[in-house]
Formats: sequence, C-alpha cells, structure tokens
Amino acid sequence: MKVKVDKSLAASIVLHVLVLGWGLVSFSARSYEVQPDSLAVDIISTDQLAQMKQGLKNGEKDKPKPLVEKVADAKPVDEAIGKVTEKEITTSVAPKPVEKPVEKKPDPPKQAEDKPKDEPKQAEKKPDPAKVDPIAEALKTEEAKKPKPKPKPEQEAKAAPKTPPQPKQERVFDATKIAAALDKRDPTRQSITGSALNASASLGTHTGNADAIIATWKGAFVAAVRRCFNFPYNGMDADQFEADIDIYMRPDGTLASQPTIVAARGPSPSISHAMAESAARAVVQCQAYAFLPKQQYDTWKYIGMTFSLKDML
Amino acid sequence: MLGVQHALAQQPPRLKLTPDEFQPIPIAIPNFVPGSPADGQVGADVTGVITNNLKRSGLFAPIDQAAFIEKITNIDVAPQFQNWKSINAQALATGRVTRQSDGRLKAEFRLWDVVSGQQLAGQQYVTAPEYWRRIAHIISDQIYSRLTGEKGYFDSRVVFVDESGAAERRVKKLAIMDQDGANVRYLTRGADLVLTPRFSPSSQEITYMEFGQGDPRVYLFNIETGQREIVGNFPGMSFSPRFSPDGQRIIMSLQQGGNSNLFVMDLRSKATTRLTDTPAIDTSPCYSPDGSQICFESDRGGKPQIYVMPAQGGNAQRISFAKDDVNASYSTPVWSPRGDYIAFTRQGGGQFSIGIIKPDGTGERLLTSGFHNEGPTFAPNGRVLMFFRDPGGSSGPSLYTIDITGRNELKQPTPGYASDPAWSPLLS
Repeated sequence: MKVKVDKSLAASIVLHVLVLGWGLVSFSARSYEVQPDSLAVDIISTDQLAQMKQGLKNGEKDKPKPLVEKVADAKPVDEAIGKVTEKEITTSVAPKPVEKPVEKKPDPPKQAEDKPKDEPKQAEKKPDPAKVDPIAEALKTEEAKKPKPKPKPEQEAKAAPKTPPQPKQERVFDATKIAAALDKRDPTRQSITGSALNASASLGTHTGNADAIIATWKGAFVAAVRRCFNFPYNGMDADQFEADIDIYMRPDGTLASQPTIVAARGPSPSISHAMAESAARAVVQCQAYAFLPKQQYDTWKYIGMTFSLKDML
Repeated sequence: MLGVQHALAQQPPRLKLTPDEFQPIPIAIPNFVPGSPADGQVGADVTGVITNNLKRSGLFAPIDQAAFIEKITNIDVAPQFQNWKSINAQALATGRVTRQSDGRLKAEFRLWDVVSGQQLAGQQYVTAPEYWRRIAHIISDQIYSRLTGEKGYFDSRVVFVDESGAAERRVKKLAIMDQDGANVRYLTRGADLVLTPRFSPSSQEITYMEFGQGDPRVYLFNIETGQREIVGNFPGMSFSPRFSPDGQRIIMSLQQGGNSNLFVMDLRSKATTRLTDTPAIDTSPCYSPDGSQICFESDRGGKPQIYVMPAQGGNAQRISFAKDDVNASYSTPVWSPRGDYIAFTRQGGGQFSIGIIKPDGTGERLLTSGFHNEGPTFAPNGRVLMFFRDPGGSSGPSLYTIDITGRNELKQPTPGYASDPAWSPLLS
C-alpha cells in the first residue's frame, strides 16, 4: 500500500517544526532576570521619627539663618488656580507645534486680555516649538477620538482663535482632564517639623514633638503620664535605671487594672524598684486618658511602657 | 513554643518615657497626732523636723499644711485618699507621739502611697523625751529610703571647727551638731588651734590636728566619754589624719625635712608603716570604703594633684587632669561612702571649686565655684556634700551643703563662723 504524501503539507509541517523548535531553544533558554536594584531601607516607627527629629538636650544650638539681603524685587508667586486655567488654554490653542514663534506671538496678548494677571515670562515660554506638552497631546488624541455631539468652547476657540468668546475662559470641570489640571510646580510650603532628618542632633525646639503628638496617640499618652512621673534621683548614674510597666486600659481611657511592674533595671535594686513604683504611681495618678481614640482601642488596650531617667540630669 | 513566639511577635513595641526635668515628690506631712493634749507641742516639733529634713534634701516638696483638706485624728484608720489626691500629694506621712506612763516618748508613723492607697511603711520608736529630734531624723530616713530606694542621711552628725572673734584673733573650737544644725556642742575650749577633724566610720570617735605649744599633733577624741589621747609621738609634724573604714587604723602625713609622706598607724599596736617615700609633699590621704585603695594629694608632678594607689602602698596613679585649665591644682580628696566618687577642692582661674570625679579619673564635675570653697565631706549616703565657703574680707567662713548633681545648694545653719566640716556615719 502506497501512501500518498502531500509535499506541500510535509514541507509545511517541517517548517513549522523547525520554527517552533528554534523558538523553544532561543526564547526558553533566557529566563527573565530582575536586576538587583534595591536600596537598604530602615523601617522606623512614628515615635522613632519624632525622636530623631526632636534633637538632643546636649546638642548644638540651632544656628539662626542669616537674613537675606534684597537683591531684586520678589518674583510674583504663581497662583495655582490661574495656572490651571492657563494649562487649559495651552491645550486648546496649540494645535500645531511646528508653528513659528513669530506667528504665535499674538496669542500672549490674548491671554493677557483674557486674564490680567498673566505673566509675560510664561507667555514667552509657551511658543517654544521644541516643547511638546505630552499631556496636551494625549488630551488632543482623546478629543479626536470622541464623537462631537455638541461644540465645546475650546473647540470653538480652535475654529476661531482670533476672536475667542468670553465663555471659553470659564473653567469647566472635565474628569478626563484631571492630569492636565494638576499643578506640576514643586511645593512651596515647608513642613512644620522638617522633612529631612537631622544628620547632627541639635538642641531641638519646644515644638519638636509635633510628629508624635499629632500623628499618634502614643505621643499624647507619654506626655500625659510624664506630667505625673517625678522620681527625684540625684545620682550621677541616672541613665542606667529603667523600669518596664505593663498597662491595661478600658475603652473609656481609665485603667482596667493596677499597672504591673514587669522589670526594673539599674545598678541598685532598691533604687530601680522605687523608681518602678513611682512610674506605676504616675500612670494611676494621671488617668483617665480620655483622649485616646476609641476607634483604635485595639491598639491601646494594652500599653507596654519603659520609664527611664536618662535625660533627667 | 510557636505560640509564644507568635505572641512575642504580636506585642507592640514599648513606649519610652523619660522625665523632662527633675521634679521633687510632693508629700503631705500633717502634724503628728498627740497621744494626750500635753503631747501636742512635741508632735508638731517632730513634724517640723521631718518636713525640714525632706525639704532640704531637695528630693521632696512638702505641701503647705494650710492646703490640707482632711485633718488626721487617728493614724490607725486609713486616710481619705481622695482628699490628699486633690492637693496633688503623692505620699502622706501620718504619725502619733505619746508620752508613756514610764516617762518615755513613743512615736509611731505610717507612710502612705496616696495614689494606690497602700501603706508603704510603718514603724514605732520609743526613747527618752529629750531625744525626740533623733526620732524625727530616723523617721525622715525611713521616708527618704522608702520613696527613693536609697539610704537616708538625716540621723547623722557633723563635727566642725567653730570660729569666733575678730579675724586676727580668731578662736577656733571643735564643735559637733546634728546634720540639720541643731544640738550644737563644743568639744574643745578654744585655747589651741584645731584643724581637720575627721569622724571614725565605725564609732563615735574623731581624730583632729591640734597646734599646741610645739608641733601640730594628731589626737583621738571620744565624743561620748570626752576622753582625748595623742596618736603616737612622731618626730616633726603630722597632718591630715583620717580613719580606715574599719576604724582600726589612722592614715596621715608626716613632715620630714622639706618632704611629707604618708604613714598608716594601727591604733591597737601603735605600729606605723610608711606608704610613700618621695621627695614631694604627699598629704590629705583617704581610704576607699572597702579599704583597698587610698587617694591622696601630691605635688610630685609639679602641682598638687589627686593620686590613687593601693592601701599597702605601691604604684600611684594620677586621676586629676583639668582639661579646661592646665594650671589647676587639686586638694583635699575624700572618697564617697558609696565608693563611686572622690570629692575634691580645685583651685584654678582665681577660684576655688568643689567637685567630684570617679576613682578612675573620668566624669569630673564641678559642683560649685567661688572665691574660696574648700574641704568637702560626704553625707553617709554619698549623695550630699558639705563644705565651707569663705567670702573673704573681714567676715568668716560658713558651711554649705550641695548634692552631687550640683542642683541643691544650701547654707548650713551654725552658731557663728564655721569651717572644716566632717560628716559622721549614720547613728543607727
């Protein structure tokens, strides 16, 4: 029996097998490798952050910054709202990035007419043909894709750029243009407690606890107990004494039981024990801690606290 | 096992609390309840002494009695703690004094933790009525010890040189008083000049130096009996005597020619041993509390400095190096009864300072400075120093106390001018 083989079919099979085999060898041999591009990161708590920013009592005093001499008039500060408006105009009146600057020059006066607060500096930047706003391009593409059931003010502006009607300048919220509406300037306001950690600890300020007090209930709790903690040790080895106290709380901020002395450490057992008693006394005396957030009760129904005399001297 | 590890992993990190600043303990001390109407005055007096002691220590803030809401009438009934909480008292000391049928005075006291409502201490003492102050000092020590964890120092005395008369004809008498300045007694009549009295650590004896008709001599004086004896007969002059911790030996310096060296004498056998032999002035020796080491002053390096060496003599190590003043000199070293510090007088920059330094030469700290401060002596618990200060001019010296943090400096009440204080060990 003779089997008739279709030559074209056989050739196709052979070619497919060859292609697939080549593909298996060439693609499967190289696995995807993730470049080890990692940075060492220390994870710290909010309290630790506050502690680092707080400074040291024996640190160097903060040097007051010298006053700046006036060398020129202050540059007007951009207003965020105005900037957003300007962005909208930019997207609508820049259909051809290849236009020459000379031809675009009439545009800035128009903006100046529309918006008295406009700044000539920004108007000069705008005609730069080399700079193509990618956001504007993206929005333009989106606009082109959309059906045009009714003419928008911006589109009218495109059609008759020389006589823009007044409604065009009104800011109309468009969810699709949020990206364009975002203010891309660097923030001008500084955080209250400083965004950078001190490389060298300074004397600190009386508001240095802001992070701890504002950010967590822990800072507020420590501050409240501190008011009642007064163990008057007058030895020079105060930094060696510590006491661990366990505290169990009720949801209303009162103590569920007497604070428990877990451990007392120090060169003298009698002194460290007296200090631990004083610490427990302070916790009881300063209750109730009604400011503790009730919705976070699970986080403070048990509080472990370590009392130290480190900074007393 | 896994469960425990899991539980430990679940435990949140402990909050850390350090006090902002030093705060004394607010304590309420109402007048001790009189056992009979006749005991009212002594009850108030005992309370006054306790209040004064605790206040002067700087560690307590006694609350003014005018602020008290509750009047304690029976110390065997628990106080209404809310009344004491409301005036911010953390501790409450109540007591009662009763003159017994045998004429003796009984004093009882209780110390309460106002916050927890628990009794922290309770004692009663009986003594002759004239010793009511000692009872007050002992109760003060009990309160101090219970609330701070440290031994007290109130039941102790101070021997000093009382000075009177004009500056050019000053009469110096040896005197003794309670640590709070009460019960002053004179031990000598002032005919001869007396200097550097020192208490025995183990008995009611003092040594001192007296300039009699000839060379200065070291004497031994028993406070209870009034007996006095000369400590050995040495050629030349002897200075700066001080007892060993066991009270069995006296260490001092003897001058021979232009030099002065250290010697130790056994009080029983009178055997004398030389400890140093240098062409310098070695003086003001003192023992460490365990008796194993000696600190002393020597100018062998050019200027008077403090050195430490083994009690049997040997290699002496200089420990005083004023980093801020290379011309400073150190003198009158004295070892703390706790062993942790050596107090000294430092002269430099036109001032005399009282300071402390660790026996290894680290941790130097000047506590007070001025025209003339000298002669520190430690309280029995090693937490307070007494020294004398001379303002110069026509006036004379006075005694002052300061704690070893330098925070609490107070003038010590004395009948007149006073110098060269030496604190006794605890009487009980």
